[in-house]
Amino acid sequence: MKTLNLILVLIFMQQARAQDLGGNAEEGERLYYDFACYSCHGYNATMRVPLVGDASGIMNSEQLFLTYLRLRADQNPVNPKNSMPNYAVSTLSDEQAVDIYAYLRSLNDDPPELADNPVMQEMLDAAKARGKGNEK
Amino acid sequence: MTDAKRNKEKSGEISRRAFLGTSAGAAAASLLGKSEGAAAQTAPPAVRATLPGQSAEAADRDIGNARPPVAVRAVRRPGSDLMVQVLRDLEIEYVAANPAASFEGLQESIINYGDTPNKMPEFISALHEESSVDMAHGYAKAEGRPMAVLLHGTLGLMHSSMAIYQAYQYQTPILLIAGRDDTNFLRSQSANDIAGIVRSITKWDAHPRTLAGALDAIQEGYRQAITPPCGPALVVLDTELQKEEAGDMQVPAYVPPQITGISTGEVRAVAKALVAARNPRIAVGKLRTARGVSDAVELAELVGASTSTRATLVPMSFPQRHPLCGPGSDTDYDYTLGLETGGIQAAIIGPHRRTLEGRDVTGIGYGFIREPPTPLWGPYAPPKPSHNDMHADAEASLPAIIAEVHKIMSSSMSNAVAVRSKQHAAANHEAAVAALKKALEDRRRGWHGSPISLARLYAELWILIKDEDWCLASPTQFSSGHNRVLWDHNKPYSHLGMHGAGGIGYCIGASTGAALAAKHRDRIVINIQCDGDLNMVPGALWTAAHYRLPMLVVMHNNRAWHQELMYAQYMAGVRGRGGDRAHIGTTLRDPFISYAKMGEAYGVESEGPISDPSKLFAALKRGVDTVKQGRPYLIDVLTQPR
Repeated sequence: MKTLNLILVLIFMQQARAQDLGGNAEEGERLYYDFACYSCHGYNATMRVPLVGDASGIMNSEQLFLTYLRLRADQNPVNPKNSMPNYAVSTLSDEQAVDIYAYLRSLNDDPPELADNPVMQEMLDAAKARGKGNEK
Repeated sequence: MTDAKRNKEKSGEISRRAFLGTSAGAAAASLLGKSEGAAAQTAPPAVRATLPGQSAEAADRDIGNARPPVAVRAVRRPGSDLMVQVLRDLEIEYVAANPAASFEGLQESIINYGDTPNKMPEFISALHEESSVDMAHGYAKAEGRPMAVLLHGTLGLMHSSMAIYQAYQYQTPILLIAGRDDTNFLRSQSANDIAGIVRSITKWDAHPRTLAGALDAIQEGYRQAITPPCGPALVVLDTELQKEEAGDMQVPAYVPPQITGISTGEVRAVAKALVAARNPRIAVGKLRTARGVSDAVELAELVGASTSTRATLVPMSFPQRHPLCGPGSDTDYDYTLGLETGGIQAAIIGPHRRTLEGRDVTGIGYGFIREPPTPLWGPYAPPKPSHNDMHADAEASLPAIIAEVHKIMSSSMSNAVAVRSKQHAAANHEAAVAALKKALEDRRRGWHGSPISLARLYAELWILIKDEDWCLASPTQFSSGHNRVLWDHNKPYSHLGMHGAGGIGYCIGASTGAALAAKHRDRIVINIQCDGDLNMVPGALWTAAHYRLPMLVVMHNNRAWHQELMYAQYMAGVRGRGGDRAHIGTTLRDPFISYAKMGEAYGVESEGPISDPSKLFAALKRGVDTVKQGRPYLIDVLTQPR
C-alpha cells in the first residue's frame, strides 16, 4: 500500500502545479482553525509537523495536498496514534481543502539563522566553552 | 413589635431578649440570698418548657452570674506535643494541610509547641488537600526525603486521593497523617477504617490505639516511606490520642531503616568487572537521594566509565553534562552496569512497587488497572528482567562497590582510567555540542511567530537561569520537553519529572512543594505551567504568595486540554465525521481565562497575556528577577499548542 501511495504521489507531483485552482486564503484561515489543523501543525504551520514554505512535500501543489488528505481516508486505526487524522471528502470538501491550502501558502516563516539569533548563539557558545569537570 | 413576634409570645414561646429580662429578675432575687438553684427554678414554667437544654449553670452564665473558672489546665503535656517532637526528630521540615477538626490537637501543637514553635515542622496552609499532597510530592522529589501532610479523615483524605495515587506511582516518600474524630464531630465525616480509602495506593498504614503506639507508628510510617520501594505511608491519629495527657511519657529514639545493598560476593564481582573492563559503562536510572547521585559520580570517575543518565526525565540521576556522561570515545562497551536501570552484563535494581502487589485490594494500586502495568514511556517502566539482575537497592550498594574498587585498583589501572576519562570527556563534549547545534537548528522554526513558540520560551528562559541554582519542577511533555536538549540537568533536583500517573492538577502543587524546598536553599523553581492543570487547583498560588516562595510560573496557555483535542479530532476522522467540532469539551474559549488576573487574585505578582514574542524575554527577566528576591511571579504566555 505504501508503494502505491508513493506512486500516486509522484504522478500527482508531475501534474500538480499547473492545475492549482486557487483557493480563498481568508476562508482557509477560518477552516484551518475550525478543523483544528493547528493542533499538530501549530497556529502558523511552523510547529511539530510544519507545512509552511518548503517544510513539507505535500505542499508542492493543491493537487498533491488534496491527494494526501484523501489517501488517508479510511486508513486510520481506531486507536489514536497522534498521526494525521482522516479527512474524507464528505467531511472536508475539495473546495474547503483548497482554501486551507491557499491559506498555508500565504504563510511565511523567516526565522533568523542560528548565527543571527543571539539567544541561540549564546547557548551554543556556552556549550562549546564548557570545560572538563566544571559541571559536577 | 412585629406580628410574628407578637404571635410567638401569645403562643407561649419567648424570645431570647424577653427570656434574659425574666432571668435578670430571677438573678436579682438570687442576690437577695436565694441559692443559684433556687434562682433558676424561679424562671417561669414557660421558659423551662421551651428551652429544655438550658441548665441552671447556663442560665446564670447568660446573665453574667458566673464565677470565674478554677485555673486548671485540662492537659499539661498533650499527646500531640509528643507527636510533634517525633516529627521534629525526623527533621520533617514542613507539614502541609487544610485545617480540620480531626487534627486540631496536632495542629495546635505544631504552631505552639516547644522553644521554636512552628519550625521543623512549619505548618503550611494549603487551600485543597490535593495541593497538600502534591506539595509533599514535589518537595520529596527535590530533596529525596519526605515532608508530612495532615488530612481530615475521611473527607480530606478523599480530596487528596488522586495526589496520593500519583505519589505512590512515582514511588515518592510522603508521611501522611489523617486525623480521626469518631466521638465529638460529625459521624458522617468519620469511619472505622479510614485508611481503607487509600490502602491500595499507599505503601503502609496504621491506626494506633494508644499514644505510645501513635509515636511508634509515626516513626514506622517515616521508615516505610523512605525504604525502597518508597511511597506514601499513612498514620491515622484519633483526636483523643492527640489531646490526652502524656504524663511523663518519653519520645522513643528514632532508628533509621536498614536498606539492603547487594551481597559481599556481588560487590566483589561488580568491582572486579568494572576494574578489569577495557571500556566499562554505567547506566544510571533514578536513585533515591542526592547521596546516591554523588556516589554514582564517584564510582564512574573512579573507573573511568562513560555513563548514561535519565536526568532529563527524572530527579536523582547522573549529571547530564558531567564529562563522563554521554556515549564516550568508544561505544564498544565490554561491561555495562545498570544502577536502577537495565545493564547488559549486570544491573542492580531495588525493590519495585510491584513487589508489594499483595497489598493491593482493588486492582488499582500496586497491581495496576491492566497489563502492561505501566506506560512504556513512563519513568518507572521496570526494566526487562535479566538473569544478571541483582535485586537490591543500587544506592545502598554503591559505597561498598566504591570501597572494593579502591581496594583492588592498582596505580597502573588508575593511569589507564585517567587516559580513558580524558578521551571520554572530549568525545562527550563534541557530541553534546553537535546535539545542541542540531536541536537549535530544528527549533528556529516559528521563532517570530505568534502565539509564541515553546522552543523560544524554553531557550530564552534558559539564558536567564543557566547561571542560577534552579529546579524545573513541572512535567514538560505537554510543552514538548525542550529542556531535555536545550538545558543542562546537572543537579539531583534539576528536573522533577512526570506527574506519576499523568493526573492533571499536579503541576502547580508539586512546583509549590519544590519551592518550599528551595526557599531556604538559595534556589529558584521554574514551573512551565499548563493552563488545564492550573485550573484544577489554583489555590496553590495563594500558598506560594503567602509563604513568599521563589517560584516562577510561566503559563503554557494554549487555551485547551490539547491532548484531548487531538484525540477527539482523530476519532472524528476515523469515524468519518470531520474534526470541526472537536473543540467541544476540549478547549478553553469563550471566554478566555486571564491567568494574570488569577495570579493577582491569589496575591502573586503577574503579567500577561503575552503573545508578541519580542516582549517575552523582558517579561521572563522580570519574572526571574522577582523570584530571585524570594517572591513568586506568574507570566501568562499565549503559546503554540505544542
